[in-house]
Formats: sequence, C-alpha cells, structure tokens
Amino acid sequence: MQVDFAAKELTLKLVYYGPALSGKTTNLRAIHWLGTSNACGELMTLETQNDRTLFFDMLPITVSSQSGLTIRLKLFTVPGQVMHNATRRLVLQAADGVAFIADSQRSEADANRESFLNLKQNLEETGIDSGRIPIIIQFNKRDMEDVRTDEELDALAKQSRETIYKAVATRGYGVMQTLRGLIRETWDKLEEEHQLENKFGISPVRFMNEIELKLRQNPGRRER
Amino acid sequence: MQDDTRAADIMMGDVVRLEDVLSRDSVTSVAKSFYALFGLPVRVISHEGDLLADVHRERPLCNYVNTLSNGERECANTVGLVRDLEPAGETIVHPCFTGAVYRIVPLAYQGRPIGRLIVGPYVPAETQGPPASLTSIDEAADLPTVLDHFDQMPRVRVDIAEELCAHLRGVVELLVFSGHRAQLASTMQVASVRENYRELAEKNEALKSSYDELKQLDQLKSTFLATVSHELRTPLTSIIGYTEMLESGAAGALSDGQAEFLKTIRSKADQLLGLISSLLDLGRLEAESLDLHHEAVDPRALLSDVGSTIVPNANRRNVALDIQVADGTAKIWGDPVRLQQIVLNLADNALKFTREGGEVVLRAEPGEVDAAGPAGFGAALFTASRPAVVLTVQDTGMGIPEENLSRIFDAFYQIDAGTTRAHGGAGLGLSIVKQLVDGHDGTIEVTSALGEGTIFTVTLPAAEAHA
Repeated sequence: MQVDFAAKELTLKLVYYGPALSGKTTNLRAIHWLGTSNACGELMTLETQNDRTLFFDMLPITVSSQSGLTIRLKLFTVPGQVMHNATRRLVLQAADGVAFIADSQRSEADANRESFLNLKQNLEETGIDSGRIPIIIQFNKRDMEDVRTDEELDALAKQSRETIYKAVATRGYGVMQTLRGLIRETWDKLEEEHQLENKFGISPVRFMNEIELKLRQNPGRRER
Repeated sequence: MQDDTRAADIMMGDVVRLEDVLSRDSVTSVAKSFYALFGLPVRVISHEGDLLADVHRERPLCNYVNTLSNGERECANTVGLVRDLEPAGETIVHPCFTGAVYRIVPLAYQGRPIGRLIVGPYVPAETQGPPASLTSIDEAADLPTVLDHFDQMPRVRVDIAEELCAHLRGVVELLVFSGHRAQLASTMQVASVRENYRELAEKNEALKSSYDELKQLDQLKSTFLATVSHELRTPLTSIIGYTEMLESGAAGALSDGQAEFLKTIRSKADQLLGLISSLLDLGRLEAESLDLHHEAVDPRALLSDVGSTIVPNANRRNVALDIQVADGTAKIWGDPVRLQQIVLNLADNALKFTREGGEVVLRAEPGEVDAAGPAGFGAALFTASRPAVVLTVQDTGMGIPEENLSRIFDAFYQIDAGTTRAHGGAGLGLSIVKQLVDGHDGTIEVTSALGEGTIFTVTLPAAEAHA
C-alpha cells in the first residue's frame, strides 16, 4: 500500500497469481472489457510472441471516493511459467492481496498445487507473511470438460481458509465477483492493520459500496 | 537491493514524466505531420514545463504585429500566458488580441496530468473579420496590410478543431503508453536478470560448500581405509605365519585331513591378505603417498613374469595365453613392482572373465603419447609427442556393456553384484590400476564388444624419453 496523504491518494497492489495458462491475463482482459471506462485505465501487457506473459500485465483502476480519497488499484499478473520465478518474486513485492487463479481441470490439479506452494515460498522470500496477506482462490475454466464439479468445489470451500470463486474468464463470468471479493478482503485487512477509517474517514462498508458503484459493469457490455 | 526496490517502485508508481517516456524526436515527427496535414502549429510541454516539441512557422500577421511596439508587447503577453496556462482537465481556448486563438489541451496518463498540447494560433472559421483589438492595436499600423495578413491566417471550424485536438491528444497519449511500457519492460528485464543472478549465486555457494564437505568426507574415507587395512594386516600376517609353520610340520606330523584344512586356511588367508593389500594401496594412492621408484623396465621381461604367474591358472581353465612383444619396443620408465601389479591385475581380470577355450593376449608395442594432451591443446607450443610403450591386455570374455565402461575404474564398482559372487574380488583392482597408471603419467583406455571380448590399452612413457 502506498499512501499520499497530501494528495489523499491510496494505491493498492493486487496480484493475480497461478499456474501457467490458468487465465490470469484473461481475467484482466475481461475486467478491462467489462469495467466502466472511467474507472479502468489501459491494460498494459508485456508478453512474448506466443501470447505468454513475459514480465507482467497491469491494469490500473482509479476510484474517486466521495470522501475525497482517490483509491488507485493496480492489478498485476505474474508470468506463470516455472522458469520466470525471479520475475514472479519481483512482481509480488509489496502486494496487498492475491487472487490465485486455479485451473478447474482435473489434469491441472498438480500444477495448481505446485503454483500455490511456489506462491507461499515467494511470499516468504519477499518478506510477506503468507498467513496474513489476503488470498482468494478462483477456479477458472468452469466451461471445460473434466473439471472438478460444483459439489466438489463447494465441499472444498467449506474447509478452505481462502474464499473460493468460480469463473469462466474467457467469457467474463465470475471475474468481477472475484475482483470485488479480493478488494473487500484486502480492504478489511488493511482496515485492521492501518485503521483507514480513522485516517481517511471512510468505513469498510462505505468503501465497498463505492467500489460496487464505480466498478459496476459497463451497461453496454455483458459476459459473452 | 536498491535496484530491486526501483523495479517495485516503477511498477507501483504511476507518476510518469513525459520527458522520460517520450522521445523528443518521435513527438516532434507527430507534430510535424499534424502541421503538414492541417497547417496548425503544435507545441508539446511537459507537466514540469519542458518544451518537448515545437513545430510552427511565423505567420505574416504575427511578424507584422511584432514590428509595432504595442503589438510586440501584446504578443509577448499572450504567448507568455499561453505557455504557462495549465488546464485542470478540460481544454482551454485562449484568445489572442489578433482574433486568433490557442487551444491548450491537457495530457493525462493513468488519471494524472503529465503535460499539455498547445495548438495554434489559428482563426476560428466562424470569426467575421479582424477584431478591434487588432485593427486599433497601434497608430502606426497599416490597416490594408493588417487585413491582408489576417486573411492569410489558418482558419478552422470549432468542431473540427476539437476533433483534431482530440485525435492528436490520443496519439500522444498512446506514445506515452508505449513509452511507459517499454520503460517498464527494460526495468523489469534488468531486475529479473539481477534476481536470477542472485538466486544462482546463492545456489552456487550452497553447491560449493556441499562439494567441499564431500571432498572432506572422501579424504576421511581414504584415511580410514588406510588405517583399517594396516590394522587388519598385522594379525593376518601372524595367522599366515603360524599356518605355514603347521604345514611344515613344525608342531608335529599332520594327517591328510589336517593338511587339507590347513591348505584351505592358507589359501583363504592369502586371498584376504591380497584384498587388504589392495585396500591399503588404494588408501595410499588416494592419499597420494605412493612412492614410485622409476627405472627402465624391459617390457618383454615384464610380460613374461606376469605370464609365468598366471599360466598355471590359464592351463587349469583351458585358456590359451599368448605374449607378443613387437620389435623396437622401448623400455618403460616406471616402478617395476607397480608395473607388474598393473599388468598382473589386468591379466588376472582377463583370465577371470574368459571362458574355457578362449584366449588372453598380452602385447607390448611402441607408441607415442601426445605431449600436448589429448585434444592437442596448445600443440604448437609443445613437442608434438614423445615415445611411449603401449601395453594391451586382450581377452575373448563376455565383454562390458557400453553404459558401464565409464564407471569401471571407480573403486568398489562391480558391473553387477552377480559377477562378484561368480568371480570374487572387491571391485578394487581396476581402480588401483588406474591410479597406478596415472602415477606413471600414463593413460589407460578400454574398448569392449559384448560377447566378443575386452581390450585394455595402457600407454606408458618410454625410458628413452627420460634418458
């Protein structure tokens, strides 16, 4: 979190993590497509020739609160391929919240697990307490064949410490819910640690109401 | 660490400076093409006040009013004002006393102001004739000239001007976006390389320390082997001595059965002694404390000696033994006892793995060793080669699978545990041979074909090279 008290600006860093090809960039693209243009800035992608993320993608979202506070959300994706671990660690630095994008296909269960362990390790090496940073899990690609069933995910959700969301990012389903969930959990944690309400006079409930309002879907666009 | 923080800062901070992400050349060419297309002057100024592009040509009207003292003052006022105007989000249209206008268009990136465009002066197409502020600017002004120059000013309709400026703004902001993207990519590139380097350096450090540890353990093993072998050999010597005394009847006559048992004890004790000596040799070799007493050794005598040692065994197993020494083979420069150990070990092995009816050949012939090393590295600086003696031990045995060839000189290595049971031995022989050959500055090579046999080739320096 970066705070500019003079300009009444607060910048949060939210990172989309997950195994290669699980749909992190697709989540950002869907948010960029669905979100209202006055909140979402340009989506910046740094990718290789094969459409694989090389360093990161970044989508800035700016929300001006009625309390006078400007909240800047910076959504980052990490490169999922195993060889880019150093870059993942760099992108993860100073993250305020993490959305872990998992692939729902049964065949990808190992890749999900490995990537999650890698996240934990990189958080620790970056000096972030993996037990304290807000992490939510999105099971993406719900439209694919041989995925974990809804019942299985619901059962998992009951025992999981992390909130679980379901999505089909290529069609925009579930990406906004995931983003709002991530923002809510991140804000709650920051409120707990930094008493934002005292400092900026904005309560978590009011903040989320404003986010809901400003980050509502562009009425001209819908999930495909 | 400082640079890592920079990467994180750049990623988080969206305070982008126009002059950092925009090359003056590219923004100037955009302004030039805009000017060429629409005849409208363009200036690009950063939030910090730096002029990044300035494409305009002085209009006759502007030149003329600047010749008039009031005109010059007013013009300077207007230009100064326009340059310093910073629009807070909306475009400002600033009038000039000549009736022309300037459009000041804000540039923003990720919701923050980064600079502005100044388009103009131009006359709005809707304007009817020059204003009084121009016609009465100075008593010295010549009205027909003023009117004529006024008509030459570029004219643009308000809505078109708005569109053109929005377009130009879009182009410049896109340039900023691309520039920022490139800046982030290069910063990340450097940071990633640095991070990778740090990680590799850490791993190398860990590998090095575990390598050092292993080397120490290896040293410890050698010392242990040497000590234990020595301690084992002392009591064994007594056992052999007393067995010999019993065999010689020193403690009274022996029955046939007793003699037979003693023979077995003696044979097994010899075998054990051989093994312990090998261990001791290996320990010494690894500790590099083996003393070699070099002299010129006749290869014929060497091979004959070895042949006479193994011939009873060969006869018993019905294996033919052939010794060939080529004419002109020089003497070997080496320790006679150790050379015998080398050849005997190889010949013993060959015999061990050759089936009945097979053949073992011991051969000596002249050869050369490449003085510059196997790859001829730096050959120009060294004598190309020096004379050597090539000893080969060839058998018609079972052969060695290719994948095992590289490991047969490792201590305690047996191709498979079954051969140990079938043929005995601890897997030390070849390891010792290799170390002895190395100790003589020689080389040993092996070639083998499964089911056909194996050839060991030992190349040792000839004595004349040391004469």
